[in-house]
Amino acid sequence: MPNVRRRLLLLAGLLAAPSLPVIAPPAAAEDTVKIGVIEPLSGGAASAGQAIKAALELGTEIVNTPYPDMQGLPLAAGTGFPGLGGRKLELDYADNQGSPAVGQNQALRLITQDHVVALFGAYQSGITLTTSAVAERYGIPFLAPESVATNLTERGFKWFFRTTPIGPDIARAYIGFVLDQRKQGRKIDSVAIVNDTTEYGTSIAEVIKKQADAEGVKVTQNVTYNVNATDVSSQVLQLKQASPDLVIFISYTSDAILYARTMKNLDYRPPIVIGDDSGFSDPSFIESVGDLVQGAINRSAFAPGRPGTLSYKMNALYHQRFGRDLDETSARSLQGFFVLVDAINRAGSTDPGKIQAALRATDMKPAQLFTGYNGVKFDDKGQNTESAMLLTQLQGKDYVAVWPQAEATGSLQLPYAGWK
Amino acid sequence: MSRRFTALVVVAVLLAAPLLLGNAFLQRVAALVMLAAISASAWNLIGGYAGQVSIGHAVFFGAGAYSALLVYKLTDWPPIAGAPVGVAVSLLLACVIGLPTFRLRGHYFSMATIAVAELIRIVVSNWQFVGAAVGLMGPAVPRSLADLSFLSPLPYFYLFAAVLAVLLFLTWQMQRSRMGFYLGAIRAGERAALSLGVPVLRYKLLALLLSAGFTALAGSLYAVMVGFVDAESALGILISVQMVIIAALGGAGTLFGPLLGAAILIPLQETTNALFGGGGTGLTYIVYGAIILLIARFRPGGLLELLHWRRRRVA
Amino acid sequence: MILLQVVVGGLLLGAVYALFSSGLTLIWGMMNVVNFAHGDFVMLAMYVAFLGYTVLGLGPAWFIPLAAAVMFLFGLLVYFALIRHVSRGPMLAQILSTFGLALLLRYSAFWVFSANFVTLPDTLVGGNFAIGGLRLQASRLVAGATALLLTIGLDLLLTRTALGGRLLAVAEDRAAAQLVGIRPDRMQALAWGIGAASTGIAGGLIALFFYISPTVGESLALIAFVTVCLGGFGSVPGALLAGLAIGVIESLSAYLIGPVYQDVVVYALFVLVLWVRPQGLLGRA
Repeated sequence: MPNVRRRLLLLAGLLAAPSLPVIAPPAAAEDTVKIGVIEPLSGGAASAGQAIKAALELGTEIVNTPYPDMQGLPLAAGTGFPGLGGRKLELDYADNQGSPAVGQNQALRLITQDHVVALFGAYQSGITLTTSAVAERYGIPFLAPESVATNLTERGFKWFFRTTPIGPDIARAYIGFVLDQRKQGRKIDSVAIVNDTTEYGTSIAEVIKKQADAEGVKVTQNVTYNVNATDVSSQVLQLKQASPDLVIFISYTSDAILYARTMKNLDYRPPIVIGDDSGFSDPSFIESVGDLVQGAINRSAFAPGRPGTLSYKMNALYHQRFGRDLDETSARSLQGFFVLVDAINRAGSTDPGKIQAALRATDMKPAQLFTGYNGVKFDDKGQNTESAMLLTQLQGKDYVAVWPQAEATGSLQLPYAGWK
Repeated sequence: MSRRFTALVVVAVLLAAPLLLGNAFLQRVAALVMLAAISASAWNLIGGYAGQVSIGHAVFFGAGAYSALLVYKLTDWPPIAGAPVGVAVSLLLACVIGLPTFRLRGHYFSMATIAVAELIRIVVSNWQFVGAAVGLMGPAVPRSLADLSFLSPLPYFYLFAAVLAVLLFLTWQMQRSRMGFYLGAIRAGERAALSLGVPVLRYKLLALLLSAGFTALAGSLYAVMVGFVDAESALGILISVQMVIIAALGGAGTLFGPLLGAAILIPLQETTNALFGGGGTGLTYIVYGAIILLIARFRPGGLLELLHWRRRRVA
Repeated sequence: MILLQVVVGGLLLGAVYALFSSGLTLIWGMMNVVNFAHGDFVMLAMYVAFLGYTVLGLGPAWFIPLAAAVMFLFGLLVYFALIRHVSRGPMLAQILSTFGLALLLRYSAFWVFSANFVTLPDTLVGGNFAIGGLRLQASRLVAGATALLLTIGLDLLLTRTALGGRLLAVAEDRAAAQLVGIRPDRMQALAWGIGAASTGIAGGLIALFFYISPTVGESLALIAFVTVCLGGFGSVPGALLAGLAIGVIESLSAYLIGPVYQDVVVYALFVLVLWVRPQGLLGRA
């Protein structure tokens, strides 16, 4: 917390001098290209939203100033948008406050008042749903880089694009891994899924169950609980009693921390642990309880990889700036951001229709991406058909790519170690 | 006479204002003011006039919002067709909740309403039939005018304003009738009211029914406008609290208090979010919280006190 | 065996609820002021403990009293700056002002500490141990024991001391208390200070095994409200009893019925109890 003291002082100043005039943000130069970004910057999901915002700030800098080192990455080499005569990029951030209605208000404000050329966001699937509906009515392209709910691309929208892998992709990766492990002689006969009852928790659990069923993997136990639990001892005891071969946690950060600690307290160490993205990827989760969940397996669309690769360089830049590794949710967002700015550049115009056409024509190759997607190409529904992911394992303070073999940078270490 | 004149001027300005706003975002804020004023005025009937501080009105709001989108999902009718269903459901809920909890006094009543609302929120967020955690969606693209899905916020504004006008007219009538007198007696002290022969339970229930019905209508209108509902956004505790603080801010137990509260609080929320939200430092809520706190500190009876300084403090 | 572990876990959880509610019992129960910012008081205390540990390098034996002292002063400040002016007004003004205060505190913490989750090392007061197959955690035991002591202490303070008598007199009838020479303002300020200080102790202890974030108070506050109300306003032992009962019911229903419905069971029983006993378990009729 480098900023704590400064912010405390600022806060004291702010409270002492309420009469200070509100300082308006400096008026943007006329010729910037504005993209509206709607993320949860306050409320329960704020830590994720803040991390995404930080990553996007780095992205903006890469677009606006020359980064010749980032070979292949669109718009990195020069300044601003070459396709628009070098105009610079400006991101217009808005807070959705975790509410679908607020997200909608902000979308409307960004479109009608700030005249953004495209919208980007909005993290929670329910809010992506309502905000993209506003964009659709106004004919403004909307790019969703991280919301995974299936129904988002089933609405017949023409201005909606999504770069992230969705539920079924995630389930395929996990179950593929399980089958692979079985082939190598590891016993995985019983699988437990632990998920909260949010949209994220239930939808991911659902697709994993479906995929497991189809592939002959038995899900023997499903423990569901309400998000922001005060105690998870009962849940852990249920697991301990059934002792499944594999436990999959689908949890937000707050609950993931409690699970990590409670498993240690009750001395419960399943043979294999998968901690799905959200909570287990949160940098503050790794910071605070990472040493209690050593060997947890996670999915990721991003892993720093080997030196010299684009992903490695991106992570290095991020690390240099924020003092920690680029987390997976932020990486997916940043990847989506580069897809959007690339499309705007190719459109050569800020006309929404032309940007929409450019997005439709997107065909990015792995060499242009820093995430593990096989490319970016949108189908009729706006879903990226080339998205992909790999599995990583927490070893020390970092997630190391361990599966599939071809992309692994470290070796898989099983059984799950938990704490030392 | 002058009071009525002031009220007329206020209403006229309010109705004309959005037209002058020429900006869709501000017009939408104006529409949201009306919507919040409906639910807060509805809450005011039981919470303000009858003095029964319910912090569980999200139940009724949610009943309205869910009914609208559930009717759409099941029958493909326009969502607004679900509004009567929502009102009916919430009247039923009002009886089920009101009869046992009306035995409780003061804080006990408030806490019981919170508990019931949280209970229903958890059940709904796990109930597949109503969309569980995923929630329910309205028509993605409007199919006809009946879907009430407009690009401009103005139609919403006038629709909400019309509903509000009906509600305020009914409230005004009630205020002047025997019921208004009875509710005032109940608020002042239930035991005294009972000993004066006021049918306490009957009138409390009547106030709650009226309140629940209009809150449900507000919920349906919300769902029609936003086109999406899930347990947190329709049944969350913040929905209940918002109704209370809007009414309290303007002046609970007064006819125009909730409208005034909404006219201050909603734009305050939206401007602080527009100004500071993008910074992501939480400044939005620091400013918003501080302003609410200061108002309560210096005007504990609500802002309407400023206008009616000669009248006795209410609530 | 597992069931015993569940019940013991429930009792320890219940002790945390009781601990969490202790300050609220005094402020809400005695002074009849609804404090919507209670959860955020605890959040603040947790951050004081966290800073005490990370910045000043203090151990729990020091940072918990530090949290109590800081919160005592903070309680006085809040009383004189805010509560004094709204406490005799309508209940709605209290809701409004403490709700504003809650947002102010929550997001001031958010601004200073960011939205990230932090934790204290889980070995500060000793780790885990097993007694005959029953696994226990030292920090939870300490928290449970403190909850018990704090409750007894508060109860003795209120019922056995002259100060307690004055506090109760003011809570009962302000004007009459004034007539016999008690200064109500001072007494109420003191009540707020003591209430906030016990919140400080609670926060410091809970920080030992829970995560800390600006919104942590929000998720814990509701259960504290239910605890105080179930116990009966104004009854310190009632809150302890209610806290323990809620903890056990939650744990048992989570284990037997499923964690999703544990809160449903608690709320339903809560409403049921109020229906039978409108004054709470140990409240005065």
